[in-house]
Amino acid sequence: MLWYKSWLETRTRFFIALLGISALCLIRVYIGEIDVFTRLPLLRTVEYRTVLDEGHSMLCFLWMMGVILLTMGGLLREKATGAAPFTLALPVGRPRLLGTRIGMCLAEAVVLAIVPWIVMFLTASVFGEAVSLDQAGFLLALLLSGGMVFFGVALLVSSLVEGEYTAPMVSFGVVFAGLMALNSMSLDKYSPMHFASGGGLIDRHTGLVVGPIPWVHAVEWILLTVFLVAISLFAIQCHEF
Amino acid sequence: MSDSYAIFTDNLGKSFGKMKAVRGLDLAVKPGRITGFLGRNGAGKSTTIKMLLGMMRPTTGEGTVLGKRIDCPRESVEMRRRVAYVSEDKRLYGYMTVEQIIAFTGSFFPGWRPEVAENLLGEYELPRKRKIKALSRGMRTKLALLLAFARRPELVILDEPSEGLDPVGIEQLLRAMAVQCAEGTTVFFSSHQIADVERVADDVCMMEKGKLVLRLSLDEMRKSYRQIDAVFPAAPPELNFRVPGILSVRESGRQLSFLASGDTEAIVDRARDLHAVSVDVAPVGLRDLFLEMVKER
Amino acid sequence: MFFRLNPATGQPLYLQLMEQIRHATETGALRDGDQLPGIRTLAEQLVVSPNTVVRAYTELEKEGLLELRQGSGAYVTLSSRTRRRTDRIQAARRRLQDLIADLRSEGLSDEEIRRAVEAEILYSAELTGKR
Repeated sequence: MLWYKSWLETRTRFFIALLGISALCLIRVYIGEIDVFTRLPLLRTVEYRTVLDEGHSMLCFLWMMGVILLTMGGLLREKATGAAPFTLALPVGRPRLLGTRIGMCLAEAVVLAIVPWIVMFLTASVFGEAVSLDQAGFLLALLLSGGMVFFGVALLVSSLVEGEYTAPMVSFGVVFAGLMALNSMSLDKYSPMHFASGGGLIDRHTGLVVGPIPWVHAVEWILLTVFLVAISLFAIQCHEF
Repeated sequence: MSDSYAIFTDNLGKSFGKMKAVRGLDLAVKPGRITGFLGRNGAGKSTTIKMLLGMMRPTTGEGTVLGKRIDCPRESVEMRRRVAYVSEDKRLYGYMTVEQIIAFTGSFFPGWRPEVAENLLGEYELPRKRKIKALSRGMRTKLALLLAFARRPELVILDEPSEGLDPVGIEQLLRAMAVQCAEGTTVFFSSHQIADVERVADDVCMMEKGKLVLRLSLDEMRKSYRQIDAVFPAAPPELNFRVPGILSVRESGRQLSFLASGDTEAIVDRARDLHAVSVDVAPVGLRDLFLEMVKER
Repeated sequence: MFFRLNPATGQPLYLQLMEQIRHATETGALRDGDQLPGIRTLAEQLVVSPNTVVRAYTELEKEGLLELRQGSGAYVTLSSRTRRRTDRIQAARRRLQDLIADLRSEGLSDEEIRRAVEAEILYSAELTGKR
């Protein structure tokens, strides 16, 4: 039933994020398909590839925001809304409470990545473009590994700061500041956003991701996320309500 | 020792920085009884309750609830399966409907009684399909009480349960507490409504400035606590009567007023010996006793 | 049966309840074999702790005025002694009724009668107290 609670708690946000992101992805691919300036369909496949590639970059960004929004919640938010004592009086340990939240957020995050991609894929197919599942899968793998770091950060922040809407605000701040810092110091290769959006792996001429999926890096990002989750768990265990 | 009590604490303390919210608290709540927990705002009642439920860690001392150690997360989970708690502000999940939170809460307790939930739903006139965020404060309180009472707990801990209830609601609450106790549940509740406590409680614990200042049964209070007013012809000869059982003495002109427990006869005799012109003995109400115990000394 | 307990008097609630049950048997409001409400029912009705009811019932059982049967509640059991006493009290009340009617017909107000009766009781109590 904790799952039920988690679902009821996040479903509105989840559906809004899902619809919003899918719609924006659809529009991006649609606009890309019909050149907005000439009102003529694009002729070159390469340009079209770039459209999908840009669609993915946009998805990464929106997904990051969506995940931060979904991760808003948990005991510290309930402390602000006043429901924490009720939750804490249930015969459930804090690790399980956090675990359920993580599970629900991850499931929703995965859907939030896959569905917009299906939308982009279908939109492209309707216009008769050849899109390969391999490419979509490649980019998704990048997003779901590198992007996880954003989830980890949002979870950690939500386990440290109280307030109804404080956690997402702080998370956005931390993430943007972090990304800007990495960007300004030309340390893009350490940026999870750079990794998730396929930076450095996309062929500039074809707009395709090339080479094998960088599994090692992917695992590194996931390990970093696991580390952030572990700190969150520790923080929640120690917190006094 | 601690197993024969539903709640037992030994030298329990909690500090927030330099502020000591609870100091050396020795609480003992007997099972199968209704115990009222009195204290002024900020006396440390809520902090104590939160420590009992494992929401806060004690700074000093230890305690058990239903024989489970309060500072052990694993034992605390076992204990919470058998305990119901209604917090001070009675907030619940705004995004659930009344029906949904009943189903949600019920799933955690093997002894959940749907028929009790159903009865209370009718008695409290709660709208099943309404979202909790749209409920009034009184309705939210009733819902929180329903969720506590329907889980067939061995112990219910209620923090200011009557707050936000109208007189009818308070009557329903007190009746529900009596019924719970008749079914074998230990009831421990904090309240500022002294008259309510006086009606329904068996025992009373009083806290002041983080300490337990009094623990007694109301039968004992009614039987042996007395207010004795003695008027003397001149200024009272001495304030110290040297009689055991005197809790406090107040002087007002030629009148002395005692709060005493136990041997009131001895005090009356002593006053007569000192040529008191009139001696009145009256029973002590819980309100008087409480005000006396929390008086600034 | 209606009982009224007053939490503000200097008498434990269980004693008040005992007295009221005893009184009810003396006035004949409760008769031999009558069933009293169960502990839960009475506690709910009076809005008192069930322990109050339990204590009153067990004490009255010790006195032989009640019989507690497992699961089915409490029954009034008037022994021949208590029954005789009940009869005597009822007879006394009838005599009192007659006396009060007489006094009223002689023009005394109820307040005067009450004061006279109370004074007599106090006086005789003082006599026995000093003895």
